[in-house]
Amino acid sequence: MKAVLISILLLVTVVFYADAQKTEGEITYERVFHWTRVYSRLSYMSQEEKDRMKLTWGNDDESKQEMLLIFNDKQSYYSYPKVETLSEGGYSWTKEEFKSYRDYENGKMTDLIAMLGKTYLIEDSLQTFNWKVMNKIKEVAGYMCMMAVTEDTVKGQKITAWFADNIPVSGGPQLFGGLPGMILELDVNDGDIVTTAKEVKFRPVTEEELAIPKKLKGRKINHAKYQELMSTHIRDSIKAHRNPFWSIPY
Amino acid sequence: MVVHAQTGGRFTLKGVVTDTSGAVLPEATVMLLLPKDSSLVNFGRTNKEGVFELKNLKRAQYIFKVSYVGFVPYQETVNPKDGDVTDLGRMKMKVLQKELYEVVIKTARAPLSIRGDTVEFDARAFKVPPGSTVEDLLRKLPGMQVDADGNIKAQGEEVKRVTVDGKRFFGDDPKMATKNLPAEAINKVQVFNGKTEQSKVTGVDDGKREKTVNLELKDSHKKGGFGKAIAGVGTDKRLEGKVSYNRFDDKQQFALLGFGNNTNQSGIARNDYQDFKGSQSFNWGDDGDFGFNSGRYYGGDDITIQPNWGGGGSEGFTKNFAGGANYNYDNKKTKLSTSYFYNQTKAIMDVRSSTENFLTNDSYSSLANSKTIGFTGNHRPSFRFEKNIDSLNTIILISNSRINAGDDHFDSYQRSFRNEGVVTNQSTVKNFSEYSSFAMANLLLYRHKFKKKGRNFAASIGYNINNADENKDLSSNNVFFQDSARNSIINQLNETESTRGNLKGSLSYIEPFAKKFFWETFYNYSMRKDKVDRDVFDVSDAGREVNPLLTRFYSNDFTYNRVGTSVRYSNKGLNLSAGLAGVQFELRGKFAADKAASDFMRVTKSYFTLVPNVSVNYDLKNNRYLYAEYGLNVREPSITDLQPIVDNSNPLFITEGNPDLIPSSTHSVYAGYNMFNPANFINLYIGLSYNYNVNQIVYNRTVNVENLITTTRPINVSGGYSYGSYGGFGFPLKKTKATMNLNASINYNNNITYINDVENETNTNSYNFGTRLDLTPSDAFTFYGNANWGFSNSEYSINTNQNQKIFNATYGADVNAKGPKDIYFNAKFNYRIYKNDQFGFDQKLPILNLSVYKIVLKSKKGEIRLTANDVFKKNLGITQNVNQNYYTERRVATLSRYFMLSFTYNMRGVTASVRRSNNY
Repeated sequence: MKAVLISILLLVTVVFYADAQKTEGEITYERVFHWTRVYSRLSYMSQEEKDRMKLTWGNDDESKQEMLLIFNDKQSYYSYPKVETLSEGGYSWTKEEFKSYRDYENGKMTDLIAMLGKTYLIEDSLQTFNWKVMNKIKEVAGYMCMMAVTEDTVKGQKITAWFADNIPVSGGPQLFGGLPGMILELDVNDGDIVTTAKEVKFRPVTEEELAIPKKLKGRKINHAKYQELMSTHIRDSIKAHRNPFWSIPY
Repeated sequence: MVVHAQTGGRFTLKGVVTDTSGAVLPEATVMLLLPKDSSLVNFGRTNKEGVFELKNLKRAQYIFKVSYVGFVPYQETVNPKDGDVTDLGRMKMKVLQKELYEVVIKTARAPLSIRGDTVEFDARAFKVPPGSTVEDLLRKLPGMQVDADGNIKAQGEEVKRVTVDGKRFFGDDPKMATKNLPAEAINKVQVFNGKTEQSKVTGVDDGKREKTVNLELKDSHKKGGFGKAIAGVGTDKRLEGKVSYNRFDDKQQFALLGFGNNTNQSGIARNDYQDFKGSQSFNWGDDGDFGFNSGRYYGGDDITIQPNWGGGGSEGFTKNFAGGANYNYDNKKTKLSTSYFYNQTKAIMDVRSSTENFLTNDSYSSLANSKTIGFTGNHRPSFRFEKNIDSLNTIILISNSRINAGDDHFDSYQRSFRNEGVVTNQSTVKNFSEYSSFAMANLLLYRHKFKKKGRNFAASIGYNINNADENKDLSSNNVFFQDSARNSIINQLNETESTRGNLKGSLSYIEPFAKKFFWETFYNYSMRKDKVDRDVFDVSDAGREVNPLLTRFYSNDFTYNRVGTSVRYSNKGLNLSAGLAGVQFELRGKFAADKAASDFMRVTKSYFTLVPNVSVNYDLKNNRYLYAEYGLNVREPSITDLQPIVDNSNPLFITEGNPDLIPSSTHSVYAGYNMFNPANFINLYIGLSYNYNVNQIVYNRTVNVENLITTTRPINVSGGYSYGSYGGFGFPLKKTKATMNLNASINYNNNITYINDVENETNTNSYNFGTRLDLTPSDAFTFYGNANWGFSNSEYSINTNQNQKIFNATYGADVNAKGPKDIYFNAKFNYRIYKNDQFGFDQKLPILNLSVYKIVLKSKKGEIRLTANDVFKKNLGITQNVNQNYYTERRVATLSRYFMLSFTYNMRGVTASVRRSNNY
């Protein structure tokens, strides 16, 4: 009993001590994309075509991409790592522009996203998500996380987020956030695309790292317009029996 | 209180979070959720004293939740009390059982669900050997004990009940389920304190709780099987049938495929191929030859089965049977695949061909009527094994074989004419041959990744065999009208035995340096031994006698070495690579009249060359892609071309080898650009290519002007070249409803050949233009139309009066319509026009295929289809071929009009759509 008490006390002190710095640092995520699972959701494909695709490619359909989130308690910046990670064979492929800035203090979002053959600059106030907090816990990258779920109605995706309440920043990977703690794992449609934190590193973050560069080049739109573009494209593509996911960040 | 709540206003919720001993928990996360769907409405944290305060809350019922590392999340339902502040007092959080945390979360890396007192385990995270029962699984779970008799205890208490998906499983004995159900069937295990049976029956909660285990079964969606069968009967005795069956789970795939027809379908359709081979359909990394393309040694063989990538049936009349089985196993670390496939084809080819041959200042023509009845059968066993020893080492072992046997009956009547139909010679040929062959390709591949990212090593070793035996009876009667002294009757027996063994090896090492650079060094080795033993006998009434002119034994050793190095720069989508390799060939041939000969003639050739390679691949932003490559390809002369042997098996067309041949090489450059705009669906592509031949092997034709006997002999010639350009543009006329595609190409060819030792240059310009229109106005009607026009102009440096202009046009339409009651209609029309001014040729070929089909049976599992093939009976099997110094037109009697009624049964349901499949 004594030992338990001591260990709890120790735990509390450690947590308390650590908390002082747990609001700034960087998180390296790995985004694993299972394309046969994603494409299996295309309504125009027949069951036979879906089965054939899964049988042929299902065992080897993973594509991985490292992502980086830099944050402090007021702001965050999410994009590709600064040093390019080359593909397995060492070849370099252009990565479609994907930069996401969040300003929690002033409730602002700025995203630079390439989609539909253009680069868009999406500026708006912070979006809120209708998160539902569930009774499930698990560990991600050494942090105990709680589960929360929501839905992306535009893309028709079921979103499951695992957030660490002892990293008290309402950020996260991709374009998600707004939970009581940092999202360390984000699961789209039960495993289609899973973005998981591999490493959480707390360090002092300079202002320049999080500052929005002045020369962000892109067509300026707001969040509503972004969603409209997205949903029109998905609708048109499905109608034309074309895969909409080739040209949008899914 | 309810009344008060309705009076409105906001309220503040506060309280203190402590552990069970009463010590405060600072920085604990407190959350407010809506009871109906657990939506998060507000959250906050406790301060240093463990106190929280959530202000300005709407008056409503909430779920209040507290989370703190190392503790079981705390939850309670709160109702706002009278007044502005509702104080929840002290909330005591329980320590999360260390065992639970360590075992479930840390070790099994599984999510743990806590619902009140229910603990849920994700069974997939707890590994048990295959074939284990639930009992074995439960033993692995923290806090669970199963004794020798199968009695279960959870957290020290006896488990009274085990339910499956919340229901009782064959009576009340908890062991019933745990001893009988396989562990693999379980998705989740939930442990909770359930109400007693007594209270459930009476509906009165007696407050007693029993330990209950609930087993949640897996959705067995990963397991499955499907099959398909097609049978058809037609007019003109046409029949076709096909059966396929697949069974799979997440590790294994098993497939059967069989088909038979007399409708000229000899290949495996792409979809059937993919269903058959499953995850082994395409293995890109199975090439054991490393290094860049320039100067590469190719040894392609069709040992494995290949999908038919399109194109219609074969020409002539063929009867086909094929069938096989495939099994794949894949658990990510070990991949095993084996298959066996047999196919046979009996083909009847009735060919009438006419050829116009151009001589230096003259020309002559020849006509041939021939009939071939051929049978060929292939057995193809294949094996592939891949093992990821660990994350850095992989080995792949591949062994594919083909065992082939067949025969050919060949009857032919050939005549040559000169000047206004004067027959110069004629020949009646009757040949029969029987053959068998065995081919095998084995490859062992090892890949090693170093800890340093990008540093790689690979080694491969392969051994290929290709042996063949052929016995041929040749008989011909040759009459020369101007020179009867040359008349001959040939009766020969030709027995040929050939063997080939090819040992290959390759090494590659890639070293990354300076972050964006990769340096690859590679070595390729190949040693090929060919042996041909040909015994030819002249057969007469007196018996058979060795023909010393044609009987031959030869062996040929071909050694190939290539060492090369290249440097690649890769950054931000740009990949730039340049390299150089040294290639060395060595040919050692020896030949004599017989294997046992004491004296062999020998040919020894050695050749060394440097081959460069430069390539650019640039993946630009917004779906644009740019590429270019320059390379030098080197190819050794074939053995038959090298042997100074005269082959007169066709007395009018004699071939002769040339031991002085050196390898031919081609400088080639190509470049291209693609782009696609997904927003407006516009796509564009352009490409350029240029090839220049050095020491190209061409056949010098010597035609005896008297008797028109042609002798060909291969020689090396430099200077031939070709260049061309192509492009395409596609855009929607109306988004999602109408799309237009345009394409065009220009090609220029310069070919050099020798006729009677005079150089003849053929210059061919060709221009092609095409357009495609896709109309997809609705899900009930579609139209796909295309039109292509081609114009080619060939000019000869000698015999300029043979210059010719050819015009080609193709118009196609594919119409699909959906009628009521699941009835569908399809029409495919193809209209080909072929014009050649020189030969006064003007041909029009309209081919129309119609089909109507109806989906029948429950769940749309059946389809009845009526097809009319080649309605106008115009498939005449005509092909034209213009070469350096001859023009040939062939007509093959080919399967033409027939009607067929077929029935399809598909376990997964028949998908009928008027839309073309875009794939993905």
